Amino acid sequence: MTVFHFLNCAFLTFGPHVVYYSATPLSEYDTIGTSVKAAAVYLGTALVKLVCLATFLKVPENDSFDPYQELMKVFIGFIDVAGLYFALTQLTHRNISQNHKFQAVGLGWAFADSVLHRLAPLWIGARGLEFTWEYIFQGIEANANLVMTLSLAALGSLMWLRKNKPRTLVPIIYACALLLATMPSITSYLRRSLEWQTPKVVGFELFSSLVMAFISWQLFSACQRPM
Amino acid sequence: MSPSGEVVASISSAVAVALVLLACVELGDAAAAVGVYRLIQYDLAGAPLGSRAAALNHHAAAFPLPPGADLSRSALVAPLLDLPLSFLREYLVEKKHLGGLLILLPKKLSDKNGTGNDVDKGQVKGVLAELEKLLLHEEVPYPVYFAFHDDDFDNLLADIRKIATSGQPASATTGGYKLVVPSAEPRKVTSPTISNIQGWLPGLKGEGDTEQLPTIAIVANYDTFGAAPALSVGSDSNGSGVVALLEIARLFSRLYSDPKTRGRYNLLFGLTSGGPYNYNGTSKWLRSFDQRVRESIDYAICLNSVGSWSNDLWMHVSKPPENPYIKKIFEDFSDVSNEMGVSVGIKHKKINVSNPRVAWEHEQFSRFRVTALTLSEMSGPPEFLESTGGLHDTRESTDVDSVIRTAKLVSESLARHIYGLKGRNIDVFAENSSLAINPHYIQSWLDLLSRTPRVAPFLQKNDPFIAALKKELSEHTADVHVQNDALDGMFTFYDATKATLNVYQVASVTFDLLFLLVLGSYLIVLFCFLVITTRGVDDLINIFRRPPSRKLKGA
Repeated sequence: MTVFHFLNCAFLTFGPHVVYYSATPLSEYDTIGTSVKAAAVYLGTALVKLVCLATFLKVPENDSFDPYQELMKVFIGFIDVAGLYFALTQLTHRNISQNHKFQAVGLGWAFADSVLHRLAPLWIGARGLEFTWEYIFQGIEANANLVMTLSLAALGSLMWLRKNKPRTLVPIIYACALLLATMPSITSYLRRSLEWQTPKVVGFELFSSLVMAFISWQLFSACQRPM
Repeated sequence: MSPSGEVVASISSAVAVALVLLACVELGDAAAAVGVYRLIQYDLAGAPLGSRAAALNHHAAAFPLPPGADLSRSALVAPLLDLPLSFLREYLVEKKHLGGLLILLPKKLSDKNGTGNDVDKGQVKGVLAELEKLLLHEEVPYPVYFAFHDDDFDNLLADIRKIATSGQPASATTGGYKLVVPSAEPRKVTSPTISNIQGWLPGLKGEGDTEQLPTIAIVANYDTFGAAPALSVGSDSNGSGVVALLEIARLFSRLYSDPKTRGRYNLLFGLTSGGPYNYNGTSKWLRSFDQRVRESIDYAICLNSVGSWSNDLWMHVSKPPENPYIKKIFEDFSDVSNEMGVSVGIKHKKINVSNPRVAWEHEQFSRFRVTALTLSEMSGPPEFLESTGGLHDTRESTDVDSVIRTAKLVSESLARHIYGLKGRNIDVFAENSSLAINPHYIQSWLDLLSRTPRVAPFLQKNDPFIAALKKELSEHTADVHVQNDALDGMFTFYDATKATLNVYQVASVTFDLLFLLVLGSYLIVLFCFLVITTRGVDDLINIFRRPPSRKLKGA
């Protein structure tokens, strides 16, 4: 029953996106166009990142943690943020409120990320006879990624789309955004150097994504109060 | 808009490439992939024998079996010594079905350290011989594979036993291990060939000799037959005979290279095939000779299994021992053997011309009225398809010293006969002379033969091993010729002798269903949570109340 397993893992990986879209008011306002545009921007960003990685990174001879390489990877990770900026600010959206805009962009972004990074391994691996926990963990990671992307999009919209922010909160907003942007590097550091096993890493991702989501939510509602 | 058009074109070609790749992807990441060797499948005069299936796709089971286990949908994995032959016999006799059988052979027949291991070696050999006899002469409707026992299999067996002790036999509803051998339906080997290789060392013809010089033939069959054709290396039967023949050829080629020491006999060396099948190949080889050549053969020495004897060698003849030729030859052998400190006994077995069974190679010569004998460590004739290089006949069962002793015995006796040497203290092939027997030569050829499975129907005409034998013989002899012929129609063989076994660890269906349940509830909870936080609880309730309210509206 291995196609069964494939379907299970596919539901786990992509289900939450669909559920999010249909559960929240996004479906009522028909913001699918925004999500699609955000997904397209993500594809472009991924291509740019690939080219930069290929140009600037050397192939490592051994598995040790090279700080300069990791720093370079962090910088390339910021291209992600640039892409998100582009999606939030430069694209023309229909008249939807700030609230929904960041959600739609975040959703599209996370969905494209899941499809690009997780669909192919799932298709190839989960259909075999051999059973591993790998794809279930991958699905959980996709969930955590969705939450993190939504938080980042929220903070991004706060940073770039809202002009009047309470002065005290501004540095916190930027700090949280920085933390979220470097999250991929942090997880790869944990996996490679500290040699955490996959369940631990996935647990950490889930926990940190929930924490960051909570913080972003608080910040967002805090910034909304004066209005 | 040419840039975007290009982009679209490149994207579509990328998609096409991706689809092609997906189609080619092999879903083969197993927990372990092991090379396994199948039981032979053959028809003897139309009767199907051996394992009749090759593909395997069943859950694994191991001893001790849970009570009431249905093995018709399981593949039984058993180390050789744990497999009770009575159990197997019962299954075969009562025609009960097994999904498949995987027998784990010990890597080495015995360990070189420890005193108690000699008993183990004998026990292993005995069990292997019995198992082979049982499986070769029965029709087994399920696939039977042999593999070498190692640590991975130990872990596999331990895991299977753990699952079995939890009370449930392995099946589709509980987890466990699945053994898969992807194999096509085995096909008949079309026109199997036997290749006989011969080489001559011509003798010295004097000025007065107008007739053909007499010939002495030295023959050994090089092919094997066993329960697992891919493992039939036949080190003793008859790798030892082949190596002894090659060494004798080498020594006499040195003697014959100088005309001053060339004897007045031609020497004919023959490496024949088709031995296990009533020496079919030898008969065809002899038939291919011109009658005058055949009549010039004074006598033939056939070598069969000379690799594991220490004191007693047997000379088997079909003419009565009182026959003067036989007497003379036996005297030569006895003289040399007494000097060497070993003994040669003579055994007489009459040929029954109406019986198609040919137990020794010399009987084929006798049927052509050529005097012949077989030198062997076996004191009695082997049964049909026995002692033909089976599972237990590996390099460890052969001793280089035995082969050296045989080579020395035969070459010394031959030299005395050819050169008419009489008296004591004659040592033609003395140690530390240029004609000394070369133990390294013998050892390296014995090692090579013990690594090469040589079942005749699976050796093509142009097989590199046959070419190697031909090349080696042409180094020592002249006029080397390979005679190819078809194997007698009584036997039909099927291919698929080797395969790769994939061991998968599978999860049960209940696990998948459970996971689906958990997943479904997670998604539903997520949905409700999101609706409540973004739209409010009322909206959630309204989703479930919509149909009745519409009805109310209509009314």
